[in-house]
Amino acid sequence: MNYLDHLPILVVAIPILMSALMIMLRSRPTFQKILNIIVSASILLMSIILLLQVWNSGIQVYEVGEWGKYGIVLVADLLGSGMVVLSCGISLLALIYSLDYIEDKSLNTTYFSLFNLLMAGLNGTFLTGDIFNMFVFFEVLLLSSCGLVVASEYGGVTKVSDKMEATFKYLMLNIISSMVMLIAIACLYATVGTLNMADMSVKIAAMSDAGTLPWHIYFIALLFIIVFGNKAAIFPLHYWLPDVHPTAPSPISAMLSGVMIKVGAYGILRVYFLVFKDALFLLQPIIILLALITIAIGAIAAVGQKDVKRLLAYSSVSQIGYVFLGIGMGTAYALAASLVYLVNHAIAKSMLFLTSGGIIHHAGTRDMDKMGGMVKSAPLMSSMFLIGAMSIAGLPPLGGFIAKFVLFDAAILGEYYLPVLIGFAFAVFTIFYMFRAWLLMFWGEARDVEKYGPYSSHGLSPMITVPIVVLAVAVLTLGVYSEPLIALSSEIANQLLDPQPYINAVLGGEVR
Amino acid sequence: MNNTILSITIALIFGIGTFLILRRDIIKVIIGLSLISHAVNMLIVSTGLFDGEKAPIITNGHHDSGSGIIFTDKLPDGMLAPIVPSGMETQFVDPLVQALVLTAIVISLAITAFILILAYRIHEEYGTTDIRELRRLRG
Repeated sequence: MNYLDHLPILVVAIPILMSALMIMLRSRPTFQKILNIIVSASILLMSIILLLQVWNSGIQVYEVGEWGKYGIVLVADLLGSGMVVLSCGISLLALIYSLDYIEDKSLNTTYFSLFNLLMAGLNGTFLTGDIFNMFVFFEVLLLSSCGLVVASEYGGVTKVSDKMEATFKYLMLNIISSMVMLIAIACLYATVGTLNMADMSVKIAAMSDAGTLPWHIYFIALLFIIVFGNKAAIFPLHYWLPDVHPTAPSPISAMLSGVMIKVGAYGILRVYFLVFKDALFLLQPIIILLALITIAIGAIAAVGQKDVKRLLAYSSVSQIGYVFLGIGMGTAYALAASLVYLVNHAIAKSMLFLTSGGIIHHAGTRDMDKMGGMVKSAPLMSSMFLIGAMSIAGLPPLGGFIAKFVLFDAAILGEYYLPVLIGFAFAVFTIFYMFRAWLLMFWGEARDVEKYGPYSSHGLSPMITVPIVVLAVAVLTLGVYSEPLIALSSEIANQLLDPQPYINAVLGGEVR
Repeated sequence: MNNTILSITIALIFGIGTFLILRRDIIKVIIGLSLISHAVNMLIVSTGLFDGEKAPIITNGHHDSGSGIIFTDKLPDGMLAPIVPSGMETQFVDPLVQALVLTAIVISLAITAFILILAYRIHEEYGTTDIRELRRLRG
């Protein structure tokens, strides 16, 4: 077996190993930091190699324990490996950023091991081909992110009690949705007798052809909307997000808003387009409706916010609605558009959250009313925030424009005129609240913005600025040279709509 | 008959758990949460129960085609491989669900430990375990 064949398990196993190692290396902080950066960079490299390999030679299946379809399989198809590249890239940058942003006490004890577990959970969720294993990785994600939300940053801008309250809310709601997922998995297992998603797809299709598909399969499919909707924070389940994302330290907000809420969109794409193909006609109107309400609520709530991170969190709610709009329309072009949107939003929003961390460092507060005139004292942060705001708002030279353009184009081609109208109206809202925030913070009269005072040594060091600039370059590149991403997304969309190669790859291996 | 009693038990535990989650006291909420997770675990175990004739297990001689065990799915008849035909005695239930339940129990242990510590810290910060006092974020 070629050693490159082991890549799918390596991107999951190495972070888990690292998290154990990091606990043991607590007494040697410098070594810990260097080792972590090197390992994260090499995982990013591995994930890129994995994506290239999948692009060149088709879907890769890794049978953990060599039990075939009866055991756990890791399946690296284009969607999964592409998401792994996205999450590894953003985590590397967030990790570099957090070296100078998180308080030493927290950084040297548990931060790195929890961060590595978060990476393992993300990569595992994106690669697994087994639905129960997906639940396990969801729990890994949930617990490690809870531990990271309460990590304290320098400056103490966020009160500890706020962190506790937000984490309690986040944990409660997500545990309940995990229980719902477990119920759905148990019902699915009782119906089809397998946990492998490809196998499930075959069996449900065969039952549907024979006309013996039990009616409760539709209810199971609806239960999964609750599960993934809660992860992605779409409308009735969105209210935990604006509390959790602002109270987390900025690099963790970037991870949560950039990658974690995309897990919900990924889950919908994977589970619905593979397992519940027969129930899609029922689900797509529901997803479109919820997406439109999500877009509206997020945008309206973002307009009135005073807290910069809370504004960005509400903006995330609104933007994830656009991703779900594309998923709900369900044509190949619309799916590709929603994937383009997903990638662009992930990069731009994580960049904005990292920038907001720099702004908070500079101003010493999160309240935008107390800022103002910072364009002179923080020119880099102001230009970076402007780039991110323009991308989220969808102005031409940047990635967000391409994303919104293909999404609306797909919707018009699919004759979804009313959703396009609503989406467009709230895209205008996006421009309004993003530029309102920028004007409030950077223009106008310079108020007595406190310098960072006792934490001045933790001002804007290269550790903080470099990740932001890298992400800004990525946003710009995706705007002016977007063909590769669109080609990749179209290929992924075709694979999603025709899952036969996936099924063949998973079930093709013989059972030992 | 047994299945009916089991279903009613699961439903009752689920109901009690839901009732407790809606209480004001954080500790009651956490107890409700663990009750719900137990109810879900019992639900998973109950999916591994079959009424006598069909038991989905591969026995030692599964390469032996003469044993009459079916290894290909007959979905129109609602049969899922591998199936032991009637007349053959099997003393097993589905072992996979028990592995699933073990995993789920371990996960709920970790979550309960975390949330209890969180409740303790909330009590330290807010000086109360009343969930209605936790409204500083107004989310």
